[in-house]
Amino acid sequence: MAPYPGSDADYFKDKARRDLLTLLEGVRGKKNLIVSQDLAGPVGLFVKFSLLQEYGVDRVFLLENGNVDSSQRNVVFLAHAEKLPQVRAVAEQIKRLQRNGNIEHEISIFWVPRRTLVSNTILEEAGIIGDVNIAEFPLYFMPLEQDVLSLELEDAFSDLYLHKNPGCIFHSAKALMDIQQRHGYFPRIIGKGDHARRLADLLLRMRKELDAEESSGLAGVSARGLLPSATTESLIIIDREVDFGTPLLTQLTYEGLIDETVGIKNNQADIDTSIVGGATTVPQTQESSKGPQPASSSKQHQKRKIQLDSSDQLFSQLRDANFAIVGDILNKVARRLESDYESRHSAKTTTELREFVNKLPSYQLEHQSLRVHTNLAEEIMRNTRADIFRKLLEVQQNYAAGADPTYHHDAVEELIARDVPLPAVLRLLCLESCMSGGLRPRDLENLKRQIVQAYGHQHVLTFCALEKMQLLQPRPSSTPTALLLPTAATTTTSTTTGSHHHQQSASSRTNYNTLRKTLRLVVEEVSEKDPNDVAYVYSGFAPLSIRLVQCVLQKPYVLSLVRGGPVATVAPSPASASSPGWLGFEDVVKSARGATFSIVQKGDDKAVRARQTISGAHAVKTVYVFFLGGITFTEIAALRFIAAQEAPRRRIVICTTGIVNGDRMMEAAIEKGSFAKVA
Amino acid sequence: MAPSNPLANWERLGDSFYRKVPIYDAIFDEDIELENYIIAGAPYGGAIALHRDESKPYRFRDAQTTKSSIDIYSCSGKLINRLNWEYGTIRGLGWSDKEELLVITEDGTVRRYFGLHGDFTSFSLGNGAEEYGVRGCRFWTSGFVALLSNNQLVVVSNYDEPRPRLLAPCPEGEVSSWSLIPPAYTLSRSVEVLLAVDKTVYLVDPTEAEDKVLQNGPFKHASVSPTGRFVALITAEGKVWVVSSDFQSKYSEYDPESRVTPRTVDWCGDDAVVIAWEDEVHLIGPNGVAARYYYDGTVQVIPEFDGVRLITNDTCEFLHKVTDVTEAIFRLGSTSPASVLLDSVDLLEKKSPKADENIQRIRPSLPEAVDTCVKAAGQEFDTHWQKRLLKAASFGKSVLDLYNSDEFVEMTEKLRVLKAVRDYQIGLPISYEQYMRLTPERLIERLVNRHEYLLAIRISEYLELAADKIYVHWASQKVKVATGDDEAVCKLIVQRLDGKPGISFELIAQTAYDEGRVHLATQLLNHEPRAGKQVPLLLNMEEDEIALDKAIESGDVDLVNYVLLHLKSKLPLASFFRTINTRPMASALVETNARSQDTELLKDLFYQDDRPIDGSNVLLLEALNETDLPRKTEKLHLASRLLSDSKDPSVVLQQKLLSEASQLLKVQEALDKDLADRTEFLGLSLNETIFRLIRSGYGKRAQKLQSEFRMPEKTFWWLRLRALVAKRDWGELEDIGKIKKSPIGWEPFYNEILGAGNTKLASVFVPKCTNLPAEEKVEMWVKCGMIAKAGEEAFRAKNVNALELLQTRASGPAAAEIDRMINQLRPRK
Repeated sequence: MAPYPGSDADYFKDKARRDLLTLLEGVRGKKNLIVSQDLAGPVGLFVKFSLLQEYGVDRVFLLENGNVDSSQRNVVFLAHAEKLPQVRAVAEQIKRLQRNGNIEHEISIFWVPRRTLVSNTILEEAGIIGDVNIAEFPLYFMPLEQDVLSLELEDAFSDLYLHKNPGCIFHSAKALMDIQQRHGYFPRIIGKGDHARRLADLLLRMRKELDAEESSGLAGVSARGLLPSATTESLIIIDREVDFGTPLLTQLTYEGLIDETVGIKNNQADIDTSIVGGATTVPQTQESSKGPQPASSSKQHQKRKIQLDSSDQLFSQLRDANFAIVGDILNKVARRLESDYESRHSAKTTTELREFVNKLPSYQLEHQSLRVHTNLAEEIMRNTRADIFRKLLEVQQNYAAGADPTYHHDAVEELIARDVPLPAVLRLLCLESCMSGGLRPRDLENLKRQIVQAYGHQHVLTFCALEKMQLLQPRPSSTPTALLLPTAATTTTSTTTGSHHHQQSASSRTNYNTLRKTLRLVVEEVSEKDPNDVAYVYSGFAPLSIRLVQCVLQKPYVLSLVRGGPVATVAPSPASASSPGWLGFEDVVKSARGATFSIVQKGDDKAVRARQTISGAHAVKTVYVFFLGGITFTEIAALRFIAAQEAPRRRIVICTTGIVNGDRMMEAAIEKGSFAKVA
Repeated sequence: MAPSNPLANWERLGDSFYRKVPIYDAIFDEDIELENYIIAGAPYGGAIALHRDESKPYRFRDAQTTKSSIDIYSCSGKLINRLNWEYGTIRGLGWSDKEELLVITEDGTVRRYFGLHGDFTSFSLGNGAEEYGVRGCRFWTSGFVALLSNNQLVVVSNYDEPRPRLLAPCPEGEVSSWSLIPPAYTLSRSVEVLLAVDKTVYLVDPTEAEDKVLQNGPFKHASVSPTGRFVALITAEGKVWVVSSDFQSKYSEYDPESRVTPRTVDWCGDDAVVIAWEDEVHLIGPNGVAARYYYDGTVQVIPEFDGVRLITNDTCEFLHKVTDVTEAIFRLGSTSPASVLLDSVDLLEKKSPKADENIQRIRPSLPEAVDTCVKAAGQEFDTHWQKRLLKAASFGKSVLDLYNSDEFVEMTEKLRVLKAVRDYQIGLPISYEQYMRLTPERLIERLVNRHEYLLAIRISEYLELAADKIYVHWASQKVKVATGDDEAVCKLIVQRLDGKPGISFELIAQTAYDEGRVHLATQLLNHEPRAGKQVPLLLNMEEDEIALDKAIESGDVDLVNYVLLHLKSKLPLASFFRTINTRPMASALVETNARSQDTELLKDLFYQDDRPIDGSNVLLLEALNETDLPRKTEKLHLASRLLSDSKDPSVVLQQKLLSEASQLLKVQEALDKDLADRTEFLGLSLNETIFRLIRSGYGKRAQKLQSEFRMPEKTFWWLRLRALVAKRDWGELEDIGKIKKSPIGWEPFYNEILGAGNTKLASVFVPKCTNLPAEEKVEMWVKCGMIAKAGEEAFRAKNVNALELLQTRASGPAAAEIDRMINQLRPRK
């Protein structure tokens, strides 16, 4: 991933940093910063605590802890204005500050990403709107990597599928508008899924509104905004609910497995010091000592934050590899490092020696990283070798491959009896439901009862939530396949902004049984060491979501895969202008849930042509792939795999509402309360 | 008309020149006796507000003139608007740089008039203003400070969201004069106030009032220079002092030789002070040199940042420092290249060969000369001299091979705009510097406020600026004055605005609504392309359902929530539910918000919508949050009862599970009572309860629970195995091993026991795993450390390879044994 100049990632990172610092500068003098939990991590992605200190931030508190003190006159709140509980918490704490403090506070609120009407109403009702300075911090996309932009919306998944709150679609649309305003309109918007369709509609609407708003008509000063981009090829939107199955599987890439075992949040993982050793240098400790939770030394198991991004060269090599070969890579690196180290003995002249000494710091850094990853890999290995992990994986892979799920219910029951963590069990149930169109009602009833007995009766609520999200469903009693046949309706509409061409198919469920064949999801012979298909990320199962992207970007490859001919060398298809959108796969993708669409955003023809002549041979165009509802690390790895193949022709930028995995999907549904709560 | 002498009205003041440029004449009627008026002029050549000073006697004429009012004039004396005033004594009259008129009355009420035509917002100063009364106010471009009669200072620094706040408490005493330093020029970035109290001056900021320890007070006037660097003071003896604003150094002193204290003290730019009496003005430069001007009538001084406007009944003049460029060209005897260049144009017109000669002479510095001429053109108010200077620049340019003409072109554009707005019919005597600071956009805004739409549009087209606001303002005005029927007005407006980008019909509709023309408002709103923009107005118009639909259409959750909040507080619950239940997004949002806020609403909603499971779930959630056991069970019963009518199998299951939950709680309560004297079991899951019972040695009770709750045999066996291992009850495990059959097989026993480290007991279970292949069993034996046994296993399976592997790991007698077995299996040679 060579950073390209002026990349979106750098742009958004700079912009976010600049915006925040300007706002902080506006509050003169020292100040205490109160930040909501779901922003504390993301803020770390673009600004370091030491820099905040330079801008007068004295101490940082978490909004949720509610422990702001009056140590500074200036108090700054940083919270989501679209999340009502946060707005209420801010209002409450301001009132508390005003009551207790014997000094008069100067209070500012920076609303992310915008000031909302409802936040105004709440502050007004609390009677404090006149006492605070309110500003907006338009924080949308944050770069996780050069090729990954994330909105880092933790709740996007539950909001969208459980609470049916489409807030994050609007948020995503706004974020994508940022990209469009930077590069011009996406010439084509391709997508799959009902929410994806809604996002595309919002984008079209916002564009129309922007056209109306852009007061450029008189002279066309900023006609730029009205044109389709010359550097962008398309936007592909994949709705998570089109493919719930993939994230339910255990991710088998290195980064994916770290996420599964210890969890990665905002590019960081909290790892027990017993595994990775204490921090030798001070990468993040400063933040924690002055930051939200004063480092409590009383805790026996201290956690250490490990930064997991491309700044760690070794990690860049490892992250997207199947875990099976991580050990090999680590060994190789270790051996190379050792020989590098040994080179000091062969250094004879002083210049050679000096050269060696100059390289020492980088060796040490690499060494440190090697130690961390070796220990981490060992820890993961310990886990993957365990009996229970193997059982889980076996059941998962059988479900994914389409084996009769009822054969594995015994195994599931055993896992329940052995008290494996609830999310793992629920993932199996949901996976079965997704992959085979629901569970037989009798089986479902039986498993529900056992889970409730094993993990507590509060999980009656958990099941209701899972059913609401359509992650877990009883199979309709009639013949399942008949019901799953999609009923398709094709509509073509055109509007004034350009011609749209989209199909809608009203599949209410993704039929993996069909798609497994038509898109060849199972590739058993895939090589983990030298992968030839994206299926390597799940050791033989290709994520449906990624296959859908391939249907748009790598049509010949997918076709040859399905026909089973000579496994295709990814044929060069210069910017799929010849067969854009879903062309060639319209029938296949109907088996996946929700709307299918491909919209052409046209601008003024003359201007477009003029523009093309000016920008000339822009050979490499960008494809934005937006995962609405979240993306897994395996899917990112798979997209990078595709990006590498497509590198000479196009560049892929991955956008998402956030990083998701099976456990987090389950956590959205799992009831946290229990009957044990007694006075 | 003969061109005016460019040197006319120049006045030398120390090293530099000042000039007084007449701009308009015949300003006010004779009737207006300026001395009896409070006058405030908007910055950047803006409007002038006049209010008769009620403390002064005036001649009675007729009823009309005795009525109190605030009159807004342009600088050329055109009456723009008259605001009737009946709100009490005015203590502050000032302008913001957006040309909003601020009127502060004695009781602390602030009225902000925007748009020059009587639209206003108001707010109260608070902070004791009502109690003590406002004494006076001082303004800066975006805020003001009010002095209360108890010497408290109240600051308002933002008019959009006014937030009056107090400065640090001030010392008591008679305030003889005061002034402020705008926030942009202070270190604290907050406004600071100079308060002359008794003999000294205090500098007051939000945190403290600092005594500057002066002895020459009481100061009758204090005035801060535009950049906040200097302060002009009038001492008790009537002398004018200029000191630095930190009071560390005194720059000059001037004695006006007058026993009457001047009426006003202002700054003319940053270098000179203007003091004015009724009909006399002194301009004081550095080192106390001064120029004096005398008038026939009353003269009023309106400060700008780059000079002052002097207004009398007859004239409007602009007094300012002559810039270096102008001085270089016009100063008597100037030999600067630019001056020569200007002369050359004259010569050229006379076809004199000296023109070329001159040019050749200044050739090396010709580019600078051209620049200077261009800049000087901007400084001139007289078009004759503007043209001359530009002509000179153009001539100089033509001689040069390479010259970037951008500035020249821009200057001609700017001068055209300036000429248009300086016309007496418009009356904006804005200087070049002021125009640069004001920006073209805001100049256009000012034109729009004066209803000069045509000129505004012409200028915006000329400068390629957005014109949407002009159209919207025009349309709003049309709505206000039009008397025709709604259809016609709407048609007219839509026709006129057709094809114009960026038109906000919402704003026009808002005006119509404010005018009480609801129907027209609705019609206009239909032309608004942005759904979101329509919502607030629709709510005002009580078009609730349309508002909700538009909000949903916009996709903006905030907007939907806003409408919902509004509707919920307004409508009876039943109709609120009726409104939302046909709109899935709305009900989903109500549900989500109620979940964290208002569970009663949630119950009502689910009841109304006939969603028993959801309703029951709310109760279940409440049961979880309940801390008291009887109430927990009660809620559970309620939850279960809600489901009792349904035949739906999934509902039936849920109901069963709920009753099972209460049953379990009852059992656990009993267990806690019997076996532990604290709550140990309550709230555990069934599996955990059984596990803990076995671990604590209550196997019988565990078994009873198993049958009571119909727990599958396999599950129970697993629980027993894990609990016994956790208890390290090897005896019991060995006993179990004597049973013939286990529903979960024996391998788990082997694994769990081995995992707990008891290899001996684990090995007991190896032979019982009859269905495992021999290789695995070999491995199992090895893990228990029993190589010989492993060998036997391999021998039975006739697996030589396995035996050979074992050979390497074996020692002592086992090794010999394995050798023997290998030999036995190997065919003899």
